[in-house]
Amino acid sequence: MTDALAAEWYKLRSIRSTYWVLAATALFLVVVLLLALQMAHIWDGLPAERRAEFLLRPLQEIGGWVAGLCLAVLGVLSVTSEYRTGMIRTTFAALPRRRTVLAAKAAVVGTVALVAGEAMTIGSFLGTRLIIGDRPFPDQQASIAHDLPGFVISGTSVAMFALLGLSLGALLRSTAGALVSVVLLWHVVPMLVFHLPEPWNERIGSVMPSALPRQAAGLGADNSIYGDVLSPGAAAAVMAAYVFVPLGFAALALTRRDA
Amino acid sequence: MIEVRELTKRYGATTAVDGLSFAVRPGTVTGFLGPNGAGKTTTMRVLLGLDAATSGEALVNGGRYASLRRPMREVGALLDAGAVHGGRRAFDHLGWLARSNEIAAGRVTEVLEQVGLAGVARRRVGGFSLGMRQRLGIAAALLGDPGVLMFDEPVNGLDPDGVRWIRELMRGLAAAGRTVLISSHLMSEMELTADRLIIIGRGRLIADTSVRELADRFRRGVLVRTPRPADLTAVLAAAGGVVESGPGVGSGPGVGSGPGGALTVAGLDVAAIGDMAAAQGIPLYEVTPRSASLEEAYMELTAGGAEFRAVAS
Repeated sequence: MTDALAAEWYKLRSIRSTYWVLAATALFLVVVLLLALQMAHIWDGLPAERRAEFLLRPLQEIGGWVAGLCLAVLGVLSVTSEYRTGMIRTTFAALPRRRTVLAAKAAVVGTVALVAGEAMTIGSFLGTRLIIGDRPFPDQQASIAHDLPGFVISGTSVAMFALLGLSLGALLRSTAGALVSVVLLWHVVPMLVFHLPEPWNERIGSVMPSALPRQAAGLGADNSIYGDVLSPGAAAAVMAAYVFVPLGFAALALTRRDA
Repeated sequence: MIEVRELTKRYGATTAVDGLSFAVRPGTVTGFLGPNGAGKTTTMRVLLGLDAATSGEALVNGGRYASLRRPMREVGALLDAGAVHGGRRAFDHLGWLARSNEIAAGRVTEVLEQVGLAGVARRRVGGFSLGMRQRLGIAAALLGDPGVLMFDEPVNGLDPDGVRWIRELMRGLAAAGRTVLISSHLMSEMELTADRLIIIGRGRLIADTSVRELADRFRRGVLVRTPRPADLTAVLAAAGGVVESGPGVGSGPGVGSGPGGALTVAGLDVAAIGDMAAAQGIPLYEVTPRSASLEEAYMELTAGGAEFRAVAS
């Protein structure tokens, strides 16, 4: 396993797409902070009654949501780029234990995604707080210590998306197919679910991947297309299921199929 | 040591390898020959544990490849030179492979020098020519200094210098006691490189022989053309030669057509025939040795085994 981990870590940091994905993520954090600057500027010109409904939270949360997609791309590519080039056969010839290879890939991609995700969500939260300074935004009255855990949980969802992408990549063995599936799960299906009749929009909307971090943090689904019927524990369990069930199928497929 | 026993591999309704058995021993270069689609690559894939055998077994050093702890230290393989990530540098491609099998990092530089890629080690593989990729693939196979080496069509895309380099490399590896299996669909190449030949067609074994045996088996003698065939026949027959009239079987276009009568002589070499004809004052218009017919032997052996064949126009 250590050999496989070392090899996968080397692989991930020796191709440019890794750095492009991380650069895109970092760039989006900069965009979020610039938008916060703009919002602080708008705030200063607003009358008091408008200020009461001027919210910063949606901007703070968009970073983690976008990072989820970026790192899902990384997860997909970590597998499909090997199938596209045929390098997967070199990999399996070097490391014939395929489940170990998959586990090592998942550990490496998952760790990178977790670090990137936390940097994004915590960076968005602390950065925007710093930028608005002492302006009393109505949804920023709680202490940093009170709000931070929600963002930390949101950061873990980035790793969930990355591993979901990795598993889909291993199952579909096609970059295009896996990316389309990820985007469907990330945003398109939730949009469709939102238009289902009551109470199904609420129920199914609660188990959509992007709906889970807020529920796991014990927050409601106000102003969103998602539902919030799950308890924090149940939401965390569904997040874990989104990671491990597809990984299990991927492991089965890798060992059953010819490389 | 490579052993393949009663190996069968089916992909759906297609049988790629059909009850194939052979062994490859250390210390020799063994050529694995067959037309396109004969099952060479499939056999190698099963040997490397990439594809699962439908039945039978393929063993490396007496065991299954998939059960090897650090396989690259025992078996080096080049299957497809194009199977590399174009965005990775040559050094890094070998770097991750070294990590995967706990091979000392210094080996990466060593094998890059050995295959002549030291100067482009920091270049991305995407910009490599097919010949450079072949060299990189060979470097990867040599990385773990393994005792068993398998190369699938290693001379594809190499220039004449590269072809000669591969030939010497393979012979050197075998001379050092390693087991070397090289697949090819070109007899002419294997004739110069291999000691033993395993010839397959349609997934079945056609011949498991040495290059010399095959050459002997298909020896066709010397084609001689002279305006006095009857006199020459008498002279050569008296010297112990077996003389047949006509250019013999398997002759190419243009052979034996021309002035004078054609004879096929077995049992005498070109020099002996020339000397005897000169001594008797018999003019010769053509003396062509027909012993280098491995290519023909191969064509004949695999005639029924080619998977794809163009229709003669």
